[in-house]
Amino acid sequence: MIKMEELIRFGEKFFDELEIATYKSRDASVNIELNEVSTSALRERVVTVVRGVKDKRLGVAIVDSGDKEKIKEAIERAYKLAKLNKPDEKWVSFPEPGKYREPRKVDKELKEVSPDYFVELAREGIGMASEEGIIVAGGGGGAEWGESLIVNSHGVNVSQEGGGAFFYIELVGMKEGKVTPGIFDFDAKLSLKLDVESVVKNALQKVKWAFKTEKSKTEEAKVVIEPWAVSSLLSYALFPAFSGERLVKGTTPLANKIGESISNELLTIYDDPLHELSINPVIADDEGVPTRRNVIVEKGVFKGFVWDNYWAKIHGVESTGNGKRNLSTGGISIGFHNVVIEGGKKSLEEIIGEIEHGYLVSGFQGAHSSNPDNGNFAVVANPAFLIENGEVKGSAVFMMSGNVYELLPNLYAVSREQKVLPFGGSMVVPAMAFDNVRIAGK
Amino acid sequence: MEDRLEKALNWALENFKADYIEIRYENISKNTLELKDGTFTTFADKGQMGVAIRVLADGAWGFSSTNRLENLEKAIESAYRLAKATAKAKKEKIQLAEIKTYQDFVKSKMKIKPKEVPIEEKVERLMDLESLLKEDGAIKSTWLRYEDASGEKILITNEGTKIKWDLNYAWQYVWATGKEGEKLAAARDEVGAVDYGWELFKEKEPNEEVAKRVIRKVHAQLGGVAPKRGEFPIVAGPIVVGLIAHEALGHLAEADLTINSPFKDLIGKQIAPEYVTMSERIVEGGFGNDRYDDEGVPVKDIHIIENGVLKEIMLNREYAHKWNMEPNGHARAENYTYPPIIRMRNTIFEPGDWNFEEMIEDIKFGYYVVDFRGGQAQLNSAFQVGVQEGYMIENGEITKPIRDTSISGIAIEALKKISAVGNDFGLEMGRCGKGQTAFVSSGGPHMRFDGGIIIG
Repeated sequence: MIKMEELIRFGEKFFDELEIATYKSRDASVNIELNEVSTSALRERVVTVVRGVKDKRLGVAIVDSGDKEKIKEAIERAYKLAKLNKPDEKWVSFPEPGKYREPRKVDKELKEVSPDYFVELAREGIGMASEEGIIVAGGGGGAEWGESLIVNSHGVNVSQEGGGAFFYIELVGMKEGKVTPGIFDFDAKLSLKLDVESVVKNALQKVKWAFKTEKSKTEEAKVVIEPWAVSSLLSYALFPAFSGERLVKGTTPLANKIGESISNELLTIYDDPLHELSINPVIADDEGVPTRRNVIVEKGVFKGFVWDNYWAKIHGVESTGNGKRNLSTGGISIGFHNVVIEGGKKSLEEIIGEIEHGYLVSGFQGAHSSNPDNGNFAVVANPAFLIENGEVKGSAVFMMSGNVYELLPNLYAVSREQKVLPFGGSMVVPAMAFDNVRIAGK
Repeated sequence: MEDRLEKALNWALENFKADYIEIRYENISKNTLELKDGTFTTFADKGQMGVAIRVLADGAWGFSSTNRLENLEKAIESAYRLAKATAKAKKEKIQLAEIKTYQDFVKSKMKIKPKEVPIEEKVERLMDLESLLKEDGAIKSTWLRYEDASGEKILITNEGTKIKWDLNYAWQYVWATGKEGEKLAAARDEVGAVDYGWELFKEKEPNEEVAKRVIRKVHAQLGGVAPKRGEFPIVAGPIVVGLIAHEALGHLAEADLTINSPFKDLIGKQIAPEYVTMSERIVEGGFGNDRYDDEGVPVKDIHIIENGVLKEIMLNREYAHKWNMEPNGHARAENYTYPPIIRMRNTIFEPGDWNFEEMIEDIKFGYYVVDFRGGQAQLNSAFQVGVQEGYMIENGEITKPIRDTSISGIAIEALKKISAVGNDFGLEMGRCGKGQTAFVSSGGPHMRFDGGIIIG
């Protein structure tokens, strides 16, 4: 990567302060379509974002390049825009340098790996899934490598590199004119050591469950929600409420709830990119602020909000290192790096084994239509399964509508196993079991 | 630029034995503005430039993309080598349906291209929209996003396709949060066009109209009551009808998905009453309009359901060959970093002959669902749509608004329960995600479902 100091000096001719961030990425991947490897791809991209402020006026330019001359042009374009923008009276400044934690060791293999590697992996996975009545509807595998450099005129200068690999498969069962819902499973790691066998095994098990359909009733029942479904529901209905921006604007239901319980002692949530299972181990956020372990909910008690530089300064607090950049707009907003929900004592198997009558949910449809402003949600549990006398009986689709703040206190068990999800960067999530959940059967 | 691309193509033809080589170049300038409660948090000028290469060799695809033009030949070579490597794992060789190739320049239909509009005017318009929204006391927070793009796209292939587009679009998204007492509610609104330029905001969707709509949606929720759960007669407005067309049925008619869906065995069969027709076609103002797709195939109007019979599906060249059908122009790529895949454009139910009053007059108790927030469907056509504006129907009249709820059902079952198709028509703009984002629109007339849809 090129020397940025010179470009910062160049930019200071125009701006009171500025930030330059360059992201270089390489993706090697394959797709699976209909029992076959379909396309292999190798994608390379360099994007540079310039954000500058002159007299409290912001200007941003984004360019698909990391070349010095192109970045200089981008600085000039950003300046032209800044002159046209309205002053933002709330603007304080870009971040000052901070102290970073020790970065995780990166696996350089991910930088060079050829898509051929994943062709082989995909072939293996398809082979393992080839059973009668099972179709590998989709899937894929690949490795992503990224290098970033973030500098600003206050002396922030941080470069990071790293990568991860993933494999996923979607199976559909077709037997006697019956089509099961798509059943999805995956693995993601910071190395090439992907566990394709477990991915396929888990998905196959669920397709087999799904072949038998059971009726769901309209009732109040125990519902065990698996990690993928937990993450989708909470990402839309709960996590946005942790944003400091929403506190400033009065659009979070948690505004006066610091120190109050929103669930019970089984629930602990924190954001920590350097957690041992994280697949997004960043030491700095997209503004160059050091990341840290931010405890959000501890034993059910809401501990506080997360912040980026802009909103933290407006509110008179410190950024928690949660500034995330949208590469298509250049803008920074508050986001998470690796949300961890702490695991519990029992295994998922034990939790299911203790249920006389209830449901197991692998996925929710429509979680993204949840209302983050008040926590209301109305989702369809699908794929989902009926549990009778401690055993999964067959698939049972139902609707679940309610409010996340009414749901969380009914948490009665959290699984010991946690799953790593490539959701919003990375998440580490157990299965969560709730009592007295109102559901509408089909 | 064409010369540079052709030189690379010729070099590739001399050096590799490929069945098909496709080079797609784009160079686009974008303006992106985000106004959040009085502050422009994004005020950006974006240059997006790069090349996508797709090679078919030994019956398998290889794809590469780069934004370093000096690496063009290298990128073609990697796509070729990837195809060769993938081919080793392939049982069934990919073949492409034959097409007539075109050499064409696709002109923009815009009257005023966004790039001709000074940025000051774009800023003023958004600030005006914000203040119109905030004139309503209940609106506490607004987030306005605006993006436009102007540039060129060039597609060349070894078969002789050579198409250049004057590529433009304009798009606006509004998110507003309202508060009354302890009640919080949010509403979204989205408009966009590829054929209308700045006139979209001047003539079709002026700020006053957009603001009025958003305020109505927020108040409907603030004053809303929770609906009764269950299966009731439902009258769906054009926006919700469009979403069912897109999410629950449209995806099943994308050939790559059809193959795993119940649609596979239903082609040619009656799946809805004969007064139901659903099309994938060019629509006036449609956000998915284009003349050619990203494989150079002309975009053709198709009827997915015609008079109740499942008839046509959306194809690219690969699937057209598999199904022994004619490609119909549905291969689309989000940008140069992606290969084209089968996508919808404008998915709509065609109007019928009922008027709205007739449709609701004999409903003792039911719901009228107007607008959604988020929707999702499964390959078995199970769908879920969050409702952001809806009302109760009591004794043939629209009464109280409902809040934070959703409707769900199995679309191929619900289709059979359509009892009336309205004589009106509405279109909603949106973005569809299928690994890549595509601009789409969806819509139709008001429609009534007697069963098949569950609310709550």
